[in-house]
Amino acid sequence: MNPVLGREVRERMRTPRAFVALTIFLLFLVLTVYVVYQGNTSSGSFQVDLARQTRLGRDLYEWVLSIMLILILFFIPGLSAGAVAGERERQTLLPLQVTLLRPHNVLIGKILAAIAFLTLLIVASIPVMVVAYLLGGIQLIDGVKGIAVLLLVSILVATMVVSISAFAKRVQTATLLSYTFVAMLVLFGPILYYTMQIVDTSSGTDRGNAPAFILAVSPLSLVADATAGENVYVGSNPLSATRQALVAAKGMTNNSWFSWFPKDDFSGDFGNRGQRIGFPGWGIGLLGLAVLAIVLFLLAQRRLRTPAETER
Amino acid sequence: MSAIVATQLTKRYGSLIAVNQLDLVVPAGSIFGLIGPNGAGKSTTFAMVATLLRPTSGGLDVMGADPCKKPRTVRRRMGYMPDVLGVYDNLRVDEYLEFFAANYGIARSEWTALIDGLLELVDLGVKRTAMVNSLSRGMKQRLSLARALVHDPELLILDEPASGLDPRARVELRELLKALNAMGKTILVSSHILAELEEMCSDVAIMEAGKLLAAGPPREILEKLGGAKTVRVRFANDTSETFTVSDDLEQAALLTRLVVDDRRDVVEFVEEGGGLEQLFLAITEGIVQ
Repeated sequence: MNPVLGREVRERMRTPRAFVALTIFLLFLVLTVYVVYQGNTSSGSFQVDLARQTRLGRDLYEWVLSIMLILILFFIPGLSAGAVAGERERQTLLPLQVTLLRPHNVLIGKILAAIAFLTLLIVASIPVMVVAYLLGGIQLIDGVKGIAVLLLVSILVATMVVSISAFAKRVQTATLLSYTFVAMLVLFGPILYYTMQIVDTSSGTDRGNAPAFILAVSPLSLVADATAGENVYVGSNPLSATRQALVAAKGMTNNSWFSWFPKDDFSGDFGNRGQRIGFPGWGIGLLGLAVLAIVLFLLAQRRLRTPAETER
Repeated sequence: MSAIVATQLTKRYGSLIAVNQLDLVVPAGSIFGLIGPNGAGKSTTFAMVATLLRPTSGGLDVMGADPCKKPRTVRRRMGYMPDVLGVYDNLRVDEYLEFFAANYGIARSEWTALIDGLLELVDLGVKRTAMVNSLSRGMKQRLSLARALVHDPELLILDEPASGLDPRARVELRELLKALNAMGKTILVSSHILAELEEMCSDVAIMEAGKLLAAGPPREILEKLGGAKTVRVRFANDTSETFTVSDDLEQAALLTRLVVDDRRDVVEFVEEGGGLEQLFLAITEGIVQ
C-alpha cells in the first residue's frame, strides 16, 4: 500500500473533521429528499397515482444527485487543497522528499486518500438514493450509473485539486486557488459558450455557431448526460436544466468544425436509446476533464521533483 | 576516505550568491561542524548535499555519488534532519517512524525491531504509543533524529539540531551524536552554539556570505590563525582582570606568573568563551547578504 495513503487516511479519520463533513453531507441529502418529497405530495390526495409517483422518484433521484455533486465539488477543495501545501506549511515536505518516495507516489497517495473519503460519502448516501428506487422513479442501473459517474467526477476533481495544492506554499492560498478552479470548472464552459453565442449572433446573420462541446466539459454536464436515462426527463432540477441547455446548444450548432458536437442522445430523436449514434456528450466531458487532470498531475509531479533549482 | 567532497560548489538565486565556490571535504567517520552566521549559506549547502537543491555550478560527491545524477543512491545512504521541526501531529510516535520506514521500502516484518531499537537509542521508548503532538520540543527533535536514522544511513546531515533546546536536552543530543559517531556514522552538523560543536566536532568549517573562510580540526585552525583566548581572573580583593593568551601553554604561564611570581591571591581563573567562539569572531566580519 502507498505509505502516504495509509498515513493520510489514519490522520484524517482521527480528526472530527471527517465525521462532521459526513454528517453535513448526509443531512443535506436527507433535507433535499424531504423538501422534494413534500413539494410533490402537498396536494392532499390519498389516491395512488403511479405516473406521478414515478416522476417524483425520478425527480428525487436527480435532485439527490445534483446536491451530491454540488457538495462533492464544495468538499473536495476543503478536504484536499492542503494535501501538499499543508505538508509544505507544516514543514514536513522536506523529510518526505529525501526518502525514496517519488513525487508521483506522494501525489497518488494524497489523491487516493481524498478519493477514499469521497467514496465513503457516496456510499453513505446510497440509502438516501434508495428512496427514489422504491418510488419506482429509477431502475437499479440508473442508481449504479449515478454512483459511478459521481465517483469518476470525484477522482478527476480530487486529482486536479491535489495537483493545484502542489503549487501553493500555504494552505490558505491552495484553498482559495482550488475553490476558484472548481468554480471555473463548472462556470467557465457556460460563460464562454453563451458569450461566444452572443458575440456571434450580434455580428452576423447566422446564429448559434458557438461550439456546443464547450458546454459538455463540465462536471455538471458530465453527470447530467451520463444519468439521462432512456427518456430524457424534463424536470426542474439542476441536472435536468443542464440537459435542456445541452439539447438547445446542440440544436443551435451547424456543421462547421467550430460548432462541432458529436451526435448523441440529444440529437433529434433522443427518446430512443437504440438510435444513439456517435460519441456521447458525457464522453466529451470525461475526456476534457481527464486531459485537464492529467496535465495538472504531470505539472505537480514536476513541481515536487528534487533536486530542484529553488527551494520549494 | 571522504564522505562529502564539494568542489567549487556554487548556488545562485538570481543576483544573490548563496554558496560561493565552496571547496569542502568531510572525512568519513568524522563529526564535521559547519559554522556561520545566519545567511552564511549553511542550510543551502546542506540542501544541496541532501539532494534537495541543484547546484548552479561546481561538483558535489556524497558517499561516492552525485546527488543530482543519482539522488536515490545518495538518499539510501544519507539521513537528513532539516532546521525546522516538521512532524505529523495526529500520528503516534511508532506510527510516525513506521511511515518513514515504509517510505524507505523497509519490510513491514522489520518495523517492530527497528522502531524498538531507534526509540531506545533516542531515549523515547516510553513514548512509543504517545501522540506526536504531546511530545516536548526536545522529544520531537529526538524523534526527528530517529526518523533520519530509520534506514540506518552512513551519513547524517543535521541542520541546527540543538536549536530551541534547553541545556539538558542539548547535552543529551550531544551525547547521542557522539554515540552515533562511535557507531561509525559520519555526521555533518551545523549549530549556532559553538561551544557545543567545539565539544564534539573533529573538524569544522567556517562560512560567511556563502564563502568558506576556514576548515579543518578546530585546534589546527586556531594555531594557523594564531587565535587568541581571553582569560578572566578574579582576585581575593574582589577585583578582576582579563588577559589575552594564544594557547594553553601561555595560559598556564599566565597563572604561574600571577600566583608564583606576583604572589597575587587568585580565586577564579576562567577562560571566556570557547576557542571556537573566539576563532569564529576573529575570522568572520558579520557580513549579511
